[in-house]
Amino acid sequence: MNANRRQSKPARALLHLAARLRRMRRALLLAIPYLLLLGWLLSGGGKGDLRPDELYAARETPVWKAPDREHWFGTTAGGADLFELSRRAMAGSVSVAVLAVSLGIGLALLAVSLSVFDERESRFDWIDRLARALGAIPGLVALAILTGGGGGGLGLVIAGLAMVVALPLCPVLTAWFREGEAGFDILAAGVAGLSRREIVLGRVLPPVLRRLPGVFAALVPAAVLAEMALSFLGFAGGRLSVGAMVARGQDYLIEAPWMAIYPGLFATAVVLVLSLLGWRVSVALRTGPLPLVLQSP
Amino acid sequence: MIRHFLQRLLVATIRFAAAGIALLALVEFSFVVPGGSGHHVWQVESYGLVPPELAPRPLAWGELLRERGSATGRVLFLVVPTVLLVGYGWGILGARLRRYRVASLLAAPFAAFACTPGFWFVGLVAIYSYFHWQRPGFAGDLVVERGPDLLAWWNAAVVALPVAAAGIAWQIRAVAAVLERETARPWTRGLFVAGANNEEIFYGHALRRAVPALATLADRPLPALLGGLVVLEPAFRYPGMGSLLVESIRLGSYPGVLLASLSFAALATLATFLRELAVPPPAA
Repeated sequence: MNANRRQSKPARALLHLAARLRRMRRALLLAIPYLLLLGWLLSGGGKGDLRPDELYAARETPVWKAPDREHWFGTTAGGADLFELSRRAMAGSVSVAVLAVSLGIGLALLAVSLSVFDERESRFDWIDRLARALGAIPGLVALAILTGGGGGGLGLVIAGLAMVVALPLCPVLTAWFREGEAGFDILAAGVAGLSRREIVLGRVLPPVLRRLPGVFAALVPAAVLAEMALSFLGFAGGRLSVGAMVARGQDYLIEAPWMAIYPGLFATAVVLVLSLLGWRVSVALRTGPLPLVLQSP
Repeated sequence: MIRHFLQRLLVATIRFAAAGIALLALVEFSFVVPGGSGHHVWQVESYGLVPPELAPRPLAWGELLRERGSATGRVLFLVVPTVLLVGYGWGILGARLRRYRVASLLAAPFAAFACTPGFWFVGLVAIYSYFHWQRPGFAGDLVVERGPDLLAWWNAAVVALPVAAAGIAWQIRAVAAVLERETARPWTRGLFVAGANNEEIFYGHALRRAVPALATLADRPLPALLGGLVVLEPAFRYPGMGSLLVESIRLGSYPGVLLASLSFAALATLATFLRELAVPPPAA
């Protein structure tokens, strides 16, 4: 075999892909349990729209059961299994959080990209000023007003969460762009005659994009907690959510305390796993410290 | 000095005004567009007297604000010093012992606790308190009429605990990250080669040089902590500003919503103003 033989184009592409995958092996390994957890949550049995109002409705002769081997978390007043309900409720909350955080990251990236091709030193100032001024409004206050005042539709919850994620993320992204533009290679690329667009798209943007999965993984648990908090307050519509389950369960604190206890325990376990994985993913991708967007771990 | 004070005051006023305008726009949008309300924020008739659901006895808005504000003040009195003391203390310790990855270890219990939904935790406390101590569960169940109101402090502590946990976890990591970045700079190697020991380098140089960066972290968690109160106070039936906001939203009372949210915004702006007075922000 001739060691100096030039490799074919597909072989080089494959090798390049393998090298990239090897560099990302930690994040990829962490993605497996993440996807397994999401898959397990979303594979919950049963179909149809479940409403907490109907499941927890007071009856003359309640048919609830305390936790036993058959029903680990007990049952509701209507006899529905609380474990399955908690699982379906968490699947809903996680789906909402995933969608909202993805949208929020996209929005932040879009806002920053409005100024990124500008060459002036002060190009990101308006974003930083806006984030500082609006940063005085606590995220959950804005969310509560938006969803509570608006009647609590799913679209409002997702849009509100996305806005709350996007606003504090903008200064983080601008800092990363500034950091990326400060390198010697960027200066050299400018001297070599590359256009601003080529430098930004080819050199500055890729490292920023590589860090975004870490941001996503770190923010999802906080968004899950926020969604549950809104549904606890009754501001997230009549959907099934752990927050709504705990709120309805508190009506039966004396007779059936498990209705308020076990769904919260389940939610704690899921958020703990998500935040542990999120923390490891953000460490593996070197995301760096993020602002305390919501009440997040 | 006076010039710096006036400059920061002007900036804080502009920021607060911007937050106020944003809140007015948010209330107008959310109640009128998706909410379908016929009242607009600019109409005088939208701002009536205190609804009876918000106060058990007739009160003016100012009195209600003072009453609810003092209850929230009690919670913040417990939360803010705890977050700052534990966050800075353990963050510095974590950075000092960075080779053993102590910062993550110190933050772990708080981060794990912050994963519990706070509204569920305060409900658990109420259940436990009712069944095991034979005491009133939620904050609104008993009012102390004579003697020192220790129960009010207990209620404030229950609300403060989950709020503080998230803030402490974040603060420990943030403080440790700032110090670890400082100790990773090339001059530390120079000092080490020159014969300085670890303690001297860390406490004598790195910590001293990192003070401005550390001070900028002091007010950062406050908006998120205040946001936590919006959920925890109603969950524990604690009569604070968070409860006022949620009850006002449910009743569609614009003055209640605006007073509570503007108070939160004013607190966050004031904290930033005080921090910027002490440590000017880095030039952009």
